[in-house]
Amino acid sequence: MGEKKRISGCVAVANAVKLADVDVICSYPIRPYTGIMSELARMVADGELDAEFIHGEGEHGQLSVVYGASAAGARAFTGSSGVGVTYAMEVYSPISGERFPLQMAIADRTLDPPGDFGSEHTDALCCRDQGWLQGWASTPQEALDMTLMWYRIGEDPRVLLPQYACQDGYFVSHILGEVDIPAAAQVKEFLPPYKNHHTLDTRKPQIIGAQIEPVMGPPLQYQRYNAVEGSRKVIAEVHEEFAKIFGRKYAPFVEEYMTEDADVAIFMQGGHAETAKIVARRLRNLGEKVGVVRLRTFRPFPTQEVREALSKFKAVGVVDNSANFGISGGAGVLLTEARTALYNLGDKVKTLGFVAGLGGEMITHEEFYRMFNKLKEVAKTGKVDKESFWLPFEL
Amino acid sequence: MSAHATKEIPFAGTVPSPQTENEGMITGHWRTRRPVIDRDKCTECLMCWISCPDACITQDDNKGLQFNMKYCKGCGICTTTCPVGAITNVPELDFAD
Repeated sequence: MGEKKRISGCVAVANAVKLADVDVICSYPIRPYTGIMSELARMVADGELDAEFIHGEGEHGQLSVVYGASAAGARAFTGSSGVGVTYAMEVYSPISGERFPLQMAIADRTLDPPGDFGSEHTDALCCRDQGWLQGWASTPQEALDMTLMWYRIGEDPRVLLPQYACQDGYFVSHILGEVDIPAAAQVKEFLPPYKNHHTLDTRKPQIIGAQIEPVMGPPLQYQRYNAVEGSRKVIAEVHEEFAKIFGRKYAPFVEEYMTEDADVAIFMQGGHAETAKIVARRLRNLGEKVGVVRLRTFRPFPTQEVREALSKFKAVGVVDNSANFGISGGAGVLLTEARTALYNLGDKVKTLGFVAGLGGEMITHEEFYRMFNKLKEVAKTGKVDKESFWLPFEL
Repeated sequence: MSAHATKEIPFAGTVPSPQTENEGMITGHWRTRRPVIDRDKCTECLMCWISCPDACITQDDNKGLQFNMKYCKGCGICTTTCPVGAITNVPELDFAD
Protein backbone atom coordinates (compact mmCIF):
# COMPACT_ATOMS: atom_id res chain seq x y z
CA MET A 1 0.00 0.00 0.00
CA GLY A 2 0.97 3.59 -0.50
CA GLU A 3 1.26 6.40 2.00
CA LYS A 4 -0.75 9.55 2.64
CA LYS A 5 1.00 12.90 2.78
CA ARG A 6 0.08 16.57 2.67
CA ILE A 7 1.92 17.85 -0.39
CA SER A 8 1.53 20.47 -3.13
CA GLY A 9 0.57 19.84 -6.77
CA CYS A 10 4.22 20.27 -7.78
CA VAL A 11 5.51 17.72 -5.27
CA ALA A 12 2.66 15.37 -6.22
CA VAL A 13 3.74 15.46 -9.87
CA ALA A 14 7.39 14.91 -8.90
CA ASN A 15 6.30 11.83 -6.94
CA ALA A 16 4.39 10.54 -9.95
CA VAL A 17 7.40 11.09 -12.21
CA LYS A 18 9.55 9.14 -9.77
CA LEU A 19 6.98 6.32 -9.62
CA ALA A 20 6.82 6.29 -13.43
CA ASP A 21 10.59 5.63 -13.33
CA VAL A 22 11.30 8.33 -15.90
CA ASP A 23 14.69 8.05 -17.66
CA VAL A 24 15.35 11.61 -18.84
CA ILE A 25 14.24 14.91 -17.30
CA CYS A 26 14.97 18.31 -18.83
CA SER A 27 14.40 21.46 -16.79
CA TYR A 28 14.56 25.21 -17.12
CA PRO A 29 13.37 27.39 -14.27
CA ILE A 30 10.18 29.45 -14.34
CA ARG A 31 7.56 29.89 -11.65
CA PRO A 32 5.35 28.09 -10.68
CA TYR A 33 6.06 24.74 -12.38
CA THR A 34 9.68 24.90 -11.25
CA GLY A 35 8.60 23.41 -7.90
CA ILE A 36 8.30 20.10 -9.76
CA MET A 37 11.87 20.32 -11.01
CA SER A 38 13.41 21.34 -7.70
CA GLU A 39 11.80 18.30 -6.07
CA LEU A 40 12.95 16.02 -8.91
CA ALA A 41 16.48 17.45 -8.72
CA ARG A 42 16.51 16.61 -5.02
CA MET A 43 15.28 13.06 -5.71
CA VAL A 44 18.00 12.49 -8.32
CA ALA A 45 20.70 14.01 -6.07
CA ASP A 46 19.60 11.90 -3.10
CA GLY A 47 19.62 8.74 -5.21
CA GLU A 48 15.86 8.17 -4.92
CA LEU A 49 15.44 8.36 -8.69
CA ASP A 50 17.82 7.03 -11.31
CA ALA A 51 17.37 9.48 -14.19
CA GLU A 52 19.40 11.82 -16.37
CA PHE A 53 18.66 15.34 -15.16
CA ILE A 54 19.56 17.79 -17.93
CA HIS A 55 19.45 21.60 -17.72
CA GLY A 56 18.00 23.07 -20.90
CA GLU A 57 19.27 26.45 -22.11
CA GLY A 58 15.65 27.55 -22.47
CA GLU A 59 12.26 25.97 -23.09
CA HIS A 60 12.89 25.43 -26.81
CA GLY A 61 16.00 23.52 -25.79
CA GLN A 62 14.11 21.64 -23.08
CA LEU A 63 11.55 20.31 -25.52
CA SER A 64 14.29 19.47 -28.05
CA VAL A 65 16.15 17.43 -25.43
CA VAL A 66 13.14 15.33 -24.42
CA TYR A 67 12.18 14.96 -28.10
CA GLY A 68 15.57 13.30 -28.78
CA ALA A 69 15.42 11.32 -25.55
CA SER A 70 12.00 9.90 -26.41
CA ALA A 71 13.23 9.04 -29.92
CA ALA A 72 16.14 7.16 -28.35
CA GLY A 73 13.71 5.05 -26.33
CA ALA A 74 13.71 6.88 -23.00
CA ARG A 75 10.64 7.78 -20.97
CA ALA A 76 11.05 11.54 -20.88
CA PHE A 77 9.62 14.37 -18.79
CA THR A 78 9.71 18.12 -18.98
CA GLY A 79 7.53 21.07 -18.05
CA SER A 80 7.07 24.81 -18.01
CA SER A 81 4.79 27.73 -17.23
CA GLY A 82 3.57 30.90 -18.93
CA VAL A 83 5.90 32.41 -21.53
CA GLY A 84 8.13 29.34 -21.19
CA VAL A 85 5.32 27.25 -22.65
CA THR A 86 4.96 29.58 -25.64
CA TYR A 87 8.74 29.90 -26.18
CA ALA A 88 8.87 26.15 -26.94
CA MET A 89 5.99 26.34 -29.41
CA GLU A 90 7.96 25.26 -32.49
CA VAL A 91 8.88 21.89 -31.04
CA TYR A 92 5.38 20.70 -30.07
CA SER A 93 4.12 19.73 -33.50
CA PRO A 94 7.21 17.70 -34.53
CA ILE A 95 6.97 15.70 -31.28
CA SER A 96 3.34 14.73 -31.85
CA GLY A 97 3.78 14.31 -35.62
CA GLU A 98 6.65 11.91 -35.09
CA ARG A 99 4.62 10.27 -32.35
CA PHE A 100 6.86 10.46 -29.29
CA PRO A 101 4.80 10.00 -26.12
CA LEU A 102 6.78 12.20 -23.74
CA GLN A 103 5.08 14.24 -21.05
CA MET A 104 5.13 17.93 -20.24
CA ALA A 105 3.73 19.29 -16.99
CA ILE A 106 2.29 22.79 -17.20
CA ALA A 107 1.50 24.76 -14.05
CA ASP A 108 -0.36 27.69 -15.56
CA ARG A 109 1.00 31.22 -15.49
CA THR A 110 -0.20 34.42 -17.13
CA LEU A 111 1.55 35.43 -20.35
CA ASP A 112 3.36 38.79 -20.38
CA PRO A 113 2.61 41.66 -19.99
CA PRO A 114 2.65 42.64 -17.17
CA GLY A 115 5.15 40.11 -15.84
CA ASP A 116 2.41 38.68 -13.68
CA PHE A 117 3.22 35.24 -12.39
CA GLY A 118 -0.32 34.36 -11.30
CA SER A 119 -2.23 31.49 -12.84
CA GLU A 120 -4.20 31.70 -16.07
CA HIS A 121 -4.94 28.87 -18.52
CA THR A 122 -3.91 30.98 -21.54
CA ASP A 123 -0.39 29.54 -21.72
CA ALA A 124 -1.41 25.89 -22.09
CA LEU A 125 -4.44 26.71 -24.23
CA CYS A 126 -2.17 28.40 -26.79
CA CYS A 127 -0.83 24.95 -27.70
CA ARG A 128 -4.15 23.09 -27.64
CA ASP A 129 -4.14 22.10 -31.32
CA GLN A 130 -0.61 20.72 -31.61
CA GLY A 131 -1.66 17.06 -31.62
CA TRP A 132 -0.94 16.56 -27.91
CA LEU A 133 -3.31 15.11 -25.34
CA GLN A 134 -4.25 17.68 -22.72
CA GLY A 135 -6.14 17.77 -19.46
CA TRP A 136 -6.44 19.77 -16.24
CA ALA A 137 -6.13 18.49 -12.69
CA SER A 138 -8.00 20.31 -9.94
CA THR A 139 -6.24 18.90 -6.85
CA PRO A 140 -2.70 17.67 -6.03
CA GLN A 141 -4.06 14.11 -5.89
CA GLU A 142 -5.48 14.41 -9.37
CA ALA A 143 -2.19 15.94 -10.60
CA LEU A 144 -0.35 12.83 -9.41
CA ASP A 145 -2.92 10.46 -10.88
CA MET A 146 -3.11 12.34 -14.18
CA THR A 147 0.66 12.15 -14.63
CA LEU A 148 0.54 8.36 -14.35
CA MET A 149 -2.56 7.99 -16.52
CA TRP A 150 -1.26 10.27 -19.29
CA TYR A 151 1.95 8.26 -19.60
CA ARG A 152 -0.06 5.07 -19.87
CA ILE A 153 -2.48 6.52 -22.43
CA GLY A 154 0.19 8.30 -24.48
CA GLU A 155 2.47 5.26 -24.65
CA ASP A 156 -0.33 2.89 -25.68
CA PRO A 157 0.62 1.54 -29.15
CA ARG A 158 -2.81 2.62 -30.40
CA VAL A 159 -2.10 6.23 -29.38
CA LEU A 160 1.61 7.19 -29.26
CA LEU A 161 1.10 10.86 -28.57
CA PRO A 162 2.72 13.37 -26.19
CA GLN A 163 0.73 14.78 -23.29
CA TYR A 164 0.30 18.08 -21.49
CA ALA A 165 -0.60 17.42 -17.85
CA CYS A 166 -1.89 20.81 -16.70
CA GLN A 167 -2.69 22.23 -13.30
CA ASP A 168 -3.49 25.76 -12.14
CA GLY A 169 -0.39 27.58 -10.96
CA TYR A 170 -0.40 28.17 -7.17
CA PHE A 171 -4.07 27.18 -6.64
CA VAL A 172 -3.07 23.56 -7.28
CA SER A 173 0.71 23.67 -7.76
CA HIS A 174 1.52 25.35 -4.43
CA ILE A 175 -1.39 24.56 -2.12
CA LEU A 176 -1.09 21.45 -0.01
CA GLY A 177 -3.65 18.73 -0.29
CA GLU A 178 -3.87 15.23 1.10
CA VAL A 179 -2.33 12.92 -1.46
CA ASP A 180 -2.34 9.16 -1.49
CA ILE A 181 1.05 8.28 -2.97
CA PRO A 182 0.72 4.79 -4.44
CA ALA A 183 3.20 2.00 -3.84
CA ALA A 184 5.81 1.41 -6.53
CA ALA A 185 4.52 -2.14 -7.11
CA GLN A 186 1.03 -0.85 -7.97
CA VAL A 187 2.46 1.63 -10.47
CA LYS A 188 4.61 -1.11 -12.00
CA GLU A 189 1.48 -3.14 -12.62
CA PHE A 190 -0.30 -0.16 -14.16
CA LEU A 191 2.50 1.32 -16.24
CA PRO A 192 4.65 -1.12 -18.24
CA PRO A 193 8.09 0.03 -19.47
CA TYR A 194 8.10 2.38 -22.45
CA LYS A 195 8.73 0.68 -25.78
CA ASN A 196 9.53 3.00 -28.63
CA HIS A 197 8.14 2.30 -32.09
CA HIS A 198 11.39 3.04 -33.87
CA THR A 199 14.27 3.22 -31.43
CA LEU A 200 17.42 4.90 -32.70
CA ASP A 201 19.83 2.16 -33.78
CA THR A 202 23.15 2.94 -35.44
CA ARG A 203 23.00 -0.28 -37.43
CA LYS A 204 19.58 0.56 -38.84
CA PRO A 205 19.73 4.31 -39.29
CA GLN A 206 16.44 6.07 -39.92
CA ILE A 207 15.31 9.54 -40.82
CA ILE A 208 12.89 11.04 -38.32
CA GLY A 209 11.08 14.08 -39.59
CA ALA A 210 12.30 13.64 -43.15
CA GLN A 211 11.62 16.29 -45.76
CA ILE A 212 8.59 14.87 -47.58
CA GLU A 213 6.95 15.39 -50.93
CA PRO A 214 3.95 17.72 -50.62
CA VAL A 215 1.58 14.90 -51.59
CA MET A 216 2.54 13.06 -48.43
CA GLY A 217 1.30 15.96 -46.31
CA PRO A 218 -2.42 15.13 -46.24
CA PRO A 219 -2.02 11.42 -45.36
CA LEU A 220 0.49 12.20 -42.61
CA GLN A 221 -1.83 14.77 -41.05
CA TYR A 222 -4.69 12.28 -41.39
CA GLN A 223 -2.58 9.69 -39.55
CA ARG A 224 -2.11 12.10 -36.62
CA TYR A 225 -5.80 13.11 -36.70
CA ASN A 226 -6.80 9.44 -36.38
CA ALA A 227 -4.36 8.95 -33.50
CA VAL A 228 -5.89 11.86 -31.56
CA GLU A 229 -9.46 10.73 -32.31
CA GLY A 230 -8.62 7.10 -31.51
CA SER A 231 -7.22 8.05 -28.12
CA ARG A 232 -10.75 8.62 -26.75
CA LYS A 233 -11.36 4.89 -26.40
CA VAL A 234 -7.99 4.35 -24.72
CA ILE A 235 -8.56 7.26 -22.32
CA ALA A 236 -11.81 5.65 -21.14
CA GLU A 237 -10.19 2.20 -20.81
CA VAL A 238 -7.18 3.45 -18.85
CA HIS A 239 -9.36 5.37 -16.39
CA GLU A 240 -11.24 2.17 -15.67
CA GLU A 241 -8.08 0.19 -15.15
CA PHE A 242 -6.66 2.93 -12.94
CA ALA A 243 -9.74 2.72 -10.71
CA LYS A 244 -9.31 -1.05 -10.44
CA ILE A 245 -5.67 -0.86 -9.37
CA PHE A 246 -5.63 2.31 -7.26
CA GLY A 247 -9.25 2.56 -6.11
CA ARG A 248 -9.72 6.15 -7.28
CA LYS A 249 -12.41 6.52 -9.91
CA TYR A 250 -12.46 9.57 -12.16
CA ALA A 251 -14.89 10.31 -14.96
CA PRO A 252 -12.50 10.23 -17.92
CA PHE A 253 -13.89 13.33 -19.64
CA VAL A 254 -16.46 15.31 -17.64
CA GLU A 255 -17.10 15.19 -13.92
CA GLU A 256 -20.63 16.10 -12.87
CA TYR A 257 -21.37 17.61 -9.45
CA MET A 258 -24.96 18.00 -8.20
CA THR A 259 -26.26 18.12 -11.75
CA GLU A 260 -29.23 15.84 -11.22
CA ASP A 261 -32.45 17.81 -11.94
CA ALA A 262 -30.40 21.04 -12.11
CA ASP A 263 -31.76 23.92 -14.18
CA VAL A 264 -28.48 25.75 -14.52
CA ALA A 265 -24.85 24.73 -14.34
CA ILE A 266 -21.32 26.09 -14.45
CA PHE A 267 -19.00 24.41 -16.97
CA MET A 268 -15.27 24.86 -16.44
CA GLN A 269 -11.92 23.16 -15.89
CA GLY A 270 -9.12 23.32 -13.33
CA GLY A 271 -8.82 24.12 -9.65
CA HIS A 272 -11.35 26.96 -9.56
CA ALA A 273 -14.06 24.36 -10.24
CA GLU A 274 -13.57 23.22 -6.64
CA THR A 275 -14.68 26.70 -5.49
CA ALA A 276 -17.67 26.51 -7.85
CA LYS A 277 -18.66 23.22 -6.23
CA ILE A 278 -18.70 24.79 -2.76
CA VAL A 279 -20.99 27.57 -3.98
CA ALA A 280 -23.23 25.07 -5.77
CA ARG A 281 -23.52 23.03 -2.58
CA ARG A 282 -24.50 26.11 -0.57
CA LEU A 283 -27.10 27.08 -3.14
CA ARG A 284 -28.46 23.53 -3.07
CA ASN A 285 -28.87 23.89 0.69
CA LEU A 286 -31.04 26.90 -0.08
CA GLY A 287 -33.11 24.82 -2.46
CA GLU A 288 -31.63 26.12 -5.73
CA LYS A 289 -31.29 23.63 -8.58
CA VAL A 290 -27.69 24.28 -9.61
CA GLY A 291 -24.72 22.10 -10.51
CA VAL A 292 -21.15 22.09 -11.79
CA VAL A 293 -19.69 20.20 -14.75
CA ARG A 294 -15.91 20.01 -14.67
CA LEU A 295 -13.99 19.19 -17.83
CA ARG A 296 -11.06 16.85 -17.14
CA THR A 297 -9.86 16.05 -20.65
CA PHE A 298 -9.56 19.04 -22.96
CA ARG A 299 -7.79 17.37 -25.91
CA PRO A 300 -9.24 15.42 -27.53
CA PHE A 301 -12.29 17.56 -26.72
CA PRO A 302 -15.05 15.19 -25.53
CA THR A 303 -17.76 16.60 -27.79
CA GLN A 304 -20.25 13.80 -27.21
CA GLU A 305 -19.80 13.69 -23.43
CA VAL A 306 -20.05 17.48 -23.10
CA ARG A 307 -23.18 17.51 -25.26
CA GLU A 308 -24.80 14.83 -23.11
CA ALA A 309 -23.82 16.53 -19.86
CA LEU A 310 -24.85 20.08 -20.81
CA SER A 311 -28.02 19.34 -22.78
CA LYS A 312 -29.86 18.63 -19.50
CA PHE A 313 -29.81 22.29 -18.42
CA LYS A 314 -31.78 25.39 -19.38
CA ALA A 315 -28.72 27.61 -19.08
CA VAL A 316 -25.00 26.92 -18.84
CA GLY A 317 -22.33 29.38 -17.75
CA VAL A 318 -18.95 28.60 -19.22
CA VAL A 319 -16.11 29.95 -17.08
CA ASP A 320 -12.95 30.76 -19.01
CA ASN A 321 -9.76 31.35 -17.07
CA SER A 322 -7.95 32.53 -20.17
CA ALA A 323 -7.51 35.75 -22.14
CA ASN A 324 -8.59 35.15 -25.74
CA PHE A 325 -8.80 38.59 -27.27
CA GLY A 326 -11.25 38.96 -30.17
CA ILE A 327 -12.59 35.41 -29.92
CA SER A 328 -16.05 34.45 -31.20
CA GLY A 329 -18.55 34.91 -28.35
CA GLY A 330 -16.33 37.44 -26.59
CA ALA A 331 -15.24 35.12 -23.75
CA GLY A 332 -12.73 32.28 -24.10
CA VAL A 333 -11.80 29.00 -25.75
CA LEU A 334 -13.98 26.89 -23.48
CA LEU A 335 -17.12 28.82 -24.44
CA THR A 336 -16.51 28.32 -28.17
CA GLU A 337 -15.78 24.61 -27.66
CA ALA A 338 -18.86 24.07 -25.47
CA ARG A 339 -21.08 25.92 -27.92
CA THR A 340 -19.77 23.87 -30.84
CA ALA A 341 -20.60 20.71 -28.91
CA LEU A 342 -24.15 22.00 -28.28
CA TYR A 343 -24.75 23.57 -31.68
CA ASN A 344 -26.78 20.84 -33.35
CA LEU A 345 -29.23 20.75 -30.46
CA GLY A 346 -30.59 24.11 -31.61
CA ASP A 347 -31.44 26.81 -29.09
CA LYS A 348 -32.40 24.41 -26.31
CA VAL A 349 -29.56 25.34 -23.95
CA LYS A 350 -28.65 28.99 -23.42
CA THR A 351 -24.93 29.56 -23.01
CA LEU A 352 -23.19 32.47 -21.33
CA GLY A 353 -19.46 33.10 -21.16
CA PHE A 354 -17.72 34.31 -17.98
CA VAL A 355 -14.07 35.33 -18.09
CA ALA A 356 -12.78 35.19 -14.53
CA GLY A 357 -9.70 34.80 -12.39
CA LEU A 358 -7.31 36.42 -14.86
CA GLY A 359 -3.79 37.30 -13.78
CA GLY A 360 -3.94 34.74 -11.00
CA GLU A 361 -6.78 36.37 -9.08
CA MET A 362 -9.07 34.10 -7.14
CA ILE A 363 -12.53 33.48 -8.49
CA THR A 364 -14.38 34.31 -5.29
CA HIS A 365 -17.50 32.70 -3.89
CA GLU A 366 -19.29 35.98 -4.46
CA GLU A 367 -18.38 35.94 -8.14
CA PHE A 368 -19.77 32.43 -8.51
CA TYR A 369 -22.99 33.55 -6.78
CA ARG A 370 -23.28 36.37 -9.31
CA MET A 371 -22.75 33.94 -12.19
CA PHE A 372 -25.38 31.52 -10.86
CA ASN A 373 -27.83 34.41 -10.39
CA LYS A 374 -27.30 35.55 -13.97
CA LEU A 375 -27.86 32.00 -15.20
CA LYS A 376 -31.06 31.64 -13.18
CA GLU A 377 -32.34 34.89 -14.72
CA VAL A 378 -31.61 33.59 -18.24
CA ALA A 379 -33.19 30.20 -17.47
CA LYS A 380 -36.32 31.95 -16.21
CA THR A 381 -36.78 34.49 -18.99
CA GLY A 382 -35.25 32.46 -21.83
CA LYS A 383 -33.62 35.69 -23.00
CA VAL A 384 -29.94 36.47 -23.46
CA ASP A 385 -29.26 40.22 -23.50
CA LYS A 386 -25.50 39.94 -23.21
CA GLU A 387 -23.68 36.71 -23.91
CA SER A 388 -20.32 37.23 -22.28
CA PHE A 389 -19.06 38.94 -19.14
CA TRP A 390 -15.56 39.86 -17.99
CA LEU A 391 -15.51 39.60 -14.22
CA PRO A 392 -15.46 41.62 -12.05
CA PHE A 393 -15.95 44.55 -14.45
CA GLU A 394 -19.15 43.50 -16.18
CA LEU A 395 -20.96 41.38 -13.60
CA MET B 1 -6.69 14.56 -54.22
CA SER B 2 -3.86 13.01 -56.17
CA ALA B 3 -3.31 9.28 -56.36
CA HIS B 4 -0.16 9.64 -54.24
CA ALA B 5 -2.10 10.80 -51.22
CA THR B 6 -3.85 7.48 -50.78
CA LYS B 7 -0.74 5.31 -51.05
CA GLU B 8 0.76 3.72 -47.97
CA ILE B 9 2.56 6.29 -45.87
CA PRO B 10 5.17 5.10 -43.35
CA PHE B 11 4.21 5.47 -39.69
CA ALA B 12 4.85 9.06 -38.54
CA GLY B 13 6.76 9.63 -41.80
CA THR B 14 9.80 7.81 -40.42
CA VAL B 15 11.82 6.11 -43.14
CA PRO B 16 15.08 4.15 -43.27
CA SER B 17 18.08 6.31 -44.09
CA PRO B 18 18.99 6.20 -47.78
CA GLN B 19 20.87 3.02 -48.65
CA THR B 20 21.56 3.88 -52.26
CA GLU B 21 24.39 5.97 -53.73
CA ASN B 22 23.86 8.80 -56.17
CA GLU B 23 26.13 8.10 -59.16
CA GLY B 24 25.51 11.60 -60.46
CA MET B 25 26.99 13.22 -57.37
CA ILE B 26 30.30 11.46 -56.64
CA THR B 27 32.33 13.76 -54.38
CA GLY B 28 35.28 11.55 -53.39
CA HIS B 29 37.62 13.18 -55.94
CA TRP B 30 37.31 16.54 -54.15
CA ARG B 31 39.42 15.08 -51.38
CA THR B 32 43.01 16.28 -50.84
CA ARG B 33 43.50 14.53 -47.50
CA ARG B 34 42.22 11.11 -46.54
CA PRO B 35 41.01 10.06 -43.08
CA VAL B 36 42.95 7.05 -41.83
CA ILE B 37 41.76 5.26 -38.74
CA ASP B 38 43.95 3.63 -36.11
CA ARG B 39 41.83 0.64 -35.06
CA ASP B 40 43.83 0.11 -31.87
CA LYS B 41 42.87 3.57 -30.64
CA CYS B 42 39.24 3.60 -31.91
CA THR B 43 36.68 3.03 -29.14
CA GLU B 44 33.71 3.02 -31.57
CA CYS B 45 32.10 5.88 -29.69
CA LEU B 46 30.52 6.89 -33.02
CA MET B 47 31.22 10.62 -32.72
CA CYS B 48 32.60 10.51 -36.30
CA TRP B 49 29.61 8.45 -37.46
CA ILE B 50 27.14 11.02 -36.22
CA SER B 51 29.21 14.02 -37.33
CA CYS B 52 30.00 13.01 -40.93
CA PRO B 53 27.97 15.41 -43.11
CA ASP B 54 27.89 12.94 -46.00
CA ALA B 55 27.01 9.77 -44.05
CA CYS B 56 30.23 8.16 -45.41
CA ILE B 57 30.94 6.26 -42.21
CA THR B 58 29.09 3.00 -41.59
CA GLN B 59 29.23 0.40 -38.87
CA ASP B 60 30.36 -3.13 -39.54
CA ASP B 61 30.15 -5.58 -36.65
CA ASN B 62 33.20 -7.52 -37.80
CA LYS B 63 35.45 -4.93 -39.38
CA GLY B 64 34.64 -1.86 -37.27
CA LEU B 65 33.88 1.53 -38.76
CA GLN B 66 34.10 1.78 -42.54
CA PHE B 67 34.78 4.92 -44.60
CA ASN B 68 33.13 5.25 -48.01
CA MET B 69 35.87 6.93 -50.06
CA LYS B 70 33.64 7.30 -53.09
CA TYR B 71 31.88 10.16 -51.33
CA CYS B 72 34.33 11.31 -48.60
CA LYS B 73 35.29 14.92 -49.46
CA GLY B 74 38.11 14.90 -46.92
CA CYS B 75 36.58 17.66 -44.85
CA GLY B 76 38.27 16.33 -41.71
CA ILE B 77 35.30 16.74 -39.37
CA CYS B 78 35.70 13.12 -38.26
CA THR B 79 39.36 13.78 -37.38
CA THR B 80 38.44 16.87 -35.40
CA THR B 81 35.58 15.27 -33.48
CA CYS B 82 37.41 12.03 -32.60
CA PRO B 83 37.96 12.28 -28.81
CA VAL B 84 40.85 9.76 -28.76
CA GLY B 85 42.79 10.97 -31.81
CA ALA B 86 42.26 7.72 -33.71
CA ILE B 87 41.82 9.43 -37.09
CA THR B 88 44.59 11.20 -39.04
CA ASN B 89 44.29 13.31 -42.20
CA VAL B 90 46.89 11.89 -44.60
CA PRO B 91 47.65 13.78 -47.87
CA GLU B 92 46.27 11.93 -50.90
CA LEU B 93 49.68 12.11 -52.65
CA ASP B 94 51.07 9.74 -49.99
CA PHE B 95 48.86 6.96 -51.38
CA ALA B 96 49.59 4.88 -54.44
CA ASP B 97 45.92 4.57 -55.55
